[in-house]
Amino acid sequence: MSIVTVQLGQCGNQIGFEVFDTLFSDSHSSQGLCSKRENEAYRASCKERFFNEEENGVPIARAVLVDMEPKVINQTLSKAAQSGRWKYGQHAYFCQKQGSGNNWAYGYSVHGPRHEESIMNLIQKEVEKCDSLSGFFIIMSMAGGTGSGIGAFVTQNLQDQYAHSLKMNQIIWPYGTGEVIVQNYNSILTLSHLYRSSDALLVHENDAVHKICAKLMNIKQISFSDINQVLAHQLGSVFQPVYCAEGSFHYRRNPLGIDWQVRPPLSGLPPLGKMPLNKELHFNTSIANLVILRGKDVQSADLEGFKDPALYTSWLHPIHALNVWKTQRAFSKYEKSASLVSNSQFLVKPLDMIVGKAWNMFASKAYLHQYTKFGIEEEDFLDSFTLLEQVVASYYNL
Amino acid sequence: MGRRRRLVDPAAEAGAGALPKVIAALSRSLPAGPSPEIFRRAKFDRPEAAPALWQLLFRLLSPRSADGASASLALEAQVCLVKSALRSQGYPRLVLAQLPEDGSRGSRELLLALSWLLARGPLPEQLLAQAHVQLGDEIPVCECEALASPGPRVPHVEAEGPVDIRCVQWLMGRLRFRWRCLIASQQEQCTLLSKIHLYTRGCHSDQRLGHLSVAETEMLRDPEGGQQLLRRLERENTGLEAALEWRRGELVFWRWMDTVLGACPPEAPAAATQPTFLPRIAERGLGRLELAARELRALQEELCEATGRRRAAWEARVGGQGRGPQWSSARQALQKAVEQELAALRWAWEQDRGPARPHGPHRLVRCEDEAPGGQHLRAAEVIQALRSQEACLEAALRRLQGQCRQELARLAGALPGLIWILPPRC
Repeated sequence: MSIVTVQLGQCGNQIGFEVFDTLFSDSHSSQGLCSKRENEAYRASCKERFFNEEENGVPIARAVLVDMEPKVINQTLSKAAQSGRWKYGQHAYFCQKQGSGNNWAYGYSVHGPRHEESIMNLIQKEVEKCDSLSGFFIIMSMAGGTGSGIGAFVTQNLQDQYAHSLKMNQIIWPYGTGEVIVQNYNSILTLSHLYRSSDALLVHENDAVHKICAKLMNIKQISFSDINQVLAHQLGSVFQPVYCAEGSFHYRRNPLGIDWQVRPPLSGLPPLGKMPLNKELHFNTSIANLVILRGKDVQSADLEGFKDPALYTSWLHPIHALNVWKTQRAFSKYEKSASLVSNSQFLVKPLDMIVGKAWNMFASKAYLHQYTKFGIEEEDFLDSFTLLEQVVASYYNL
Repeated sequence: MGRRRRLVDPAAEAGAGALPKVIAALSRSLPAGPSPEIFRRAKFDRPEAAPALWQLLFRLLSPRSADGASASLALEAQVCLVKSALRSQGYPRLVLAQLPEDGSRGSRELLLALSWLLARGPLPEQLLAQAHVQLGDEIPVCECEALASPGPRVPHVEAEGPVDIRCVQWLMGRLRFRWRCLIASQQEQCTLLSKIHLYTRGCHSDQRLGHLSVAETEMLRDPEGGQQLLRRLERENTGLEAALEWRRGELVFWRWMDTVLGACPPEAPAAATQPTFLPRIAERGLGRLELAARELRALQEELCEATGRRRAAWEARVGGQGRGPQWSSARQALQKAVEQELAALRWAWEQDRGPARPHGPHRLVRCEDEAPGGQHLRAAEVIQALRSQEACLEAALRRLQGQCRQELARLAGALPGLIWILPPRC
């Protein structure tokens, strides 16, 4: 089962490259801490999902790159080709000659429809190369202008055209002290549109990843490249093959088959190492948790802490809410690693903050003309606010 | 209880050994068929013959899909099931219903029930057809099978106390998710079937088929699997031969069943006067039907009058409008929509009408040449038919959803000051 990745905008393309690189390096790593046969099964499974085999042997990533200006795409394509180990498809990208400001409305209402056919054709070509399509993985930022606007449009199109396939959007939550004035507007528009057409939103907060780089990894001068690599590591640890059941001999066929259950956004929260048990009185209540263990001693890992009913909502039994995936094959040379993907109240506060800030701006009608100029009316804003308030309320009431 | 008559009477010359042979053949053609000795004892209503016959009837009457799971059901449960299944099929003798639940008695009655089933239809042949070994890639072209076998019975669970609506939402979401996984798997299966059919072109010994199916490919790839397939085919052959032997000699069996019936005590007079147990309409119900029919006729007349009046009024109001050129495109669109719906309705009606429509699973064969129909079915036609059926169902769903929404709006409107916000994606 294969995943087709759509990389959108500067953010999406840079992260996408790191993700594929991580996946490839890990699948070809020699320190898997497992038997040769197992390693080969792992590699084959990873390849089926993310890469296409060509005659001369260099795997081609199953990806479509989209951006409104050529610079980042060219950089991404050449970086991949230079490594000599894997590359992107020769024609699997779409870009325009000139970019256009950080304008969500322009991206959604102008760029999107104008280039809809070309972009969807590229995606269709990738889909046809798959023996079986598991779904789509769309990487984009939330608050940037054109990238997020086009991302919302493309996701909607994917929903219409591939109604039966799963779609997961990887969203980058902007820094709280971001530089773009209208980033809150962009965020709420992106989130509300994606909420309607995507199946799962996997969120990474720039602030959180920044902290990981600074505190856990002790990097002095944190660049976007560092941040992207941490992100890619986290995503890779979620996407690489795992066994589907106790004692089964085949890797899970459906990598996007994470039972996201209720649709609200997810947050990625993977520590590298063992997961400490929170002794606080108030937990973030979860609807669902997915724990992924890789490496040594996975069979004997103690996960009782995750089965505590206090972690979950009252109307769901921990048996239904907790999923555990395991494999002995170590990830990215880490002897043991654990990832937690959680659908919980973790994002409520940041979301509420963004909605609040956006609302304040909206109440004073600041910068609205940038949006109404291109067809995003006040009603659309109001709809977005309503939807997000509903989401916040549902999560508060878990 | 009838039996077939034949012009030639082979059983007359057969002699004394014919009966056990015929019964043995019958047993071989049925699943879990007991030995001829059991049959003999059953004629004399011996209790030790009862359990085997209960089990045989259970195997014959239980739904096909439950074969594996229900083989381990206790005898009491099997007895219950057999009784209710026979009753719902209209078995006329009440003695069966009065037999004890532990399955310890009643072998003669069970023998009569078995013959009743055999006389109603070609039972061994039906069972063999169901268990037929499929060598080709079978694709269903109609919904009949899915509707006929509803699957294992799900225990009816009463909710303890009020159920949180979020739990229901969660369950719906999970269901949707599983559906999509299923669809993705099916699409993958189609792609792989297509590949196998393409790659094995020219490999099949049968020229009309041309390529191998999955089962045949597997047989070549895995010799052990091939041996298993061979064994299954041999078993099916044995069953077919037994069925043939049964048919050749069944008259002997029916003559013998006459003696079994004769050996039964006459039914109690009260029982004889009771009407046959038909599970549908009771006596009172028939009267109600008449009433309903009369009311419907009256309603129809009223409706005809009302529509006539309405149409006249509308035409008077509209006058000459609707005839001009600017109306022609609208009229054409309307006509087209009506024709489509009519075609869909006709198709749906023909579906119910009978065997004119193709039924059951068909073997999937990839063909290059444009050979004309015959008994072959073109995938494009089937797809077309299914698509129009899908469109009908979707339209019906949208109508129902609209009705639901209106009802909800009405309910919400009844509470002043309540703002109704629909959930996203409904």
